[in-house]
Amino acid sequence: MDWVFLSELAINGALTGLLYSLFAIGLVLIYKASSVPNLAQGGLTMVGAYVVLALARDVGLPLWLAIPLAAVVMLGLGFGIERVALRRLAGRPVVMILMLTLGLDIFLRGTTLAIWGGTSRSMELGVSYDPLFLGDIFISRIHLVGAGVALALFVAFMLFFRTRTGIKLRAIADDYMASWSVGIAVERGVGLSWALASVVAVAAGVIWGEIQGVDQALSLLLLKGLTVAVLGGLDSILGAVIAGIILGVVENVGADFLDPLVGGGSRELIVAAVLILTVMIRPHGLFGRHDIERV
Amino acid sequence: MQEKVEAQNILSMNSVEVLYDNVMLAIKGVSVQVPKGEMIALLGSNGAGKSTTLKAISGLLKAERGRISRGEITFQGTDITEALAQKRVEMGICHVIEGRRVFEHLTPDENLTAAAPRGMSRSTLNAEKEKIYGYFPRLAERKNSQAGYLSGGEQQMLAIGRALVTQPKLLMLDEPSLGLAPFLVEEIFGILQKINKDEGLSVLLVEQNALAALEIVSQGYLIENGRVVMHGTAEALKSNSDIQEFYLGGGETDFHNVKHYSRRKRWLS
Repeated sequence: MDWVFLSELAINGALTGLLYSLFAIGLVLIYKASSVPNLAQGGLTMVGAYVVLALARDVGLPLWLAIPLAAVVMLGLGFGIERVALRRLAGRPVVMILMLTLGLDIFLRGTTLAIWGGTSRSMELGVSYDPLFLGDIFISRIHLVGAGVALALFVAFMLFFRTRTGIKLRAIADDYMASWSVGIAVERGVGLSWALASVVAVAAGVIWGEIQGVDQALSLLLLKGLTVAVLGGLDSILGAVIAGIILGVVENVGADFLDPLVGGGSRELIVAAVLILTVMIRPHGLFGRHDIERV
Repeated sequence: MQEKVEAQNILSMNSVEVLYDNVMLAIKGVSVQVPKGEMIALLGSNGAGKSTTLKAISGLLKAERGRISRGEITFQGTDITEALAQKRVEMGICHVIEGRRVFEHLTPDENLTAAAPRGMSRSTLNAEKEKIYGYFPRLAERKNSQAGYLSGGEQQMLAIGRALVTQPKLLMLDEPSLGLAPFLVEEIFGILQKINKDEGLSVLLVEQNALAALEIVSQGYLIENGRVVMHGTAEALKSNSDIQEFYLGGGETDFHNVKHYSRRKRWLS
């Protein structure tokens, strides 16, 4: 057994996992306020990356300015989605809203394809590709940066949900009717959660765009992000972070064992197995809230 | 004369009709007046239209696809028939909905914070909380536990406390006694009476437990089949023999000799 190699797999798996968490945090934000897994989060992430590129390449702004500006644009998009599409669905069955988010995802993919075409573009963040060595272990710099961003967002949102606005959002997630009854602006709260998730999508889009290029494939991150969110419990940000690390490590180490046996491609299998097993064995995930039933 | 009446009533509901889904008529021309600073009860059996009446006043009908199809509601002289629920809370109407419905995954303290009106300063909010914990010391003891695990009585207290944070002028309660032990009902009603006296808060109370309700209110309305069928002072209602028989469960019923056909709710036909 090569322990150095194994810990390299584990550490890089954990870093990749935190990048899944970065994506999943956006899902959790929306789930917390509307109890709907947002199937358009992949589309939003892709649009976030494209908007950054549009501002950086087409307008010619420096990246440090283009990224926050893109965040502002996406903030507006998030509020806009609630205003135009979701508001009239308030109080309708959740499956309707789920279908709406699916439609939105397809719409966003179609739009980016029409505007920017299908060729992959590079983000060029300027993070060095030189290997970083921790003892004998090789670590990717961009993954390290992305993991740092994920952890920073995690801390920021943990603090946010203790503020008055954050508490109101949690109240909305708990009970729409009761929220209305005490005058909470439910619609604005849901809009805010979409806006915040769209900002998270910019962060995820930039990091993942740097890693795998900016194209339609970015929206497929939804599958891994959703697995992480479900494993973490869908409404827990801490859950998303821990589940991300778990999935990343299991995927990376597991694939190394399984790939020689099945001849490659076992990563997808591992992710799928985690998703299915979570739903079957522990539907509310590691840290999700169960609905409280007093006996 | 007319003006004087307007000034005395904090809430006036005139011949209001409510449709659900544009077809089902839930209340058929209900008129209710709440004099400022008084406690009023809406009595009646299940499905009579009491809850719908409250929702028409608080604006929560919309969430259940109901709407006011006729009549008008004025609050402190302003027509609120079409106002949004949120606007009505800002104006001072707060509705403690049926079944307590606390924010289960939040702590009691966070439940109170969640109801804080926009722009309420931190110090005002803390003062409000202190006042509410003063009324409900049991809540203060458990303010950092999870609200979903409070007892039924504590949850009802929390629901009322949460409504008080919005600084209402009219507090509406839908069946606060539901599923609670009699001593708890007494405790909660006693606190409501105290708040009514101390702060001049007007209260509109929906109850099936007519006996308990008539002890604390000044007037009552009896609603059946979506209509007001009786209205009078609490004293008059308590001594009314029909009310006694059907809603207070008292009277001189001798179950050996009871003649089922001889007494019925005459006002229903």
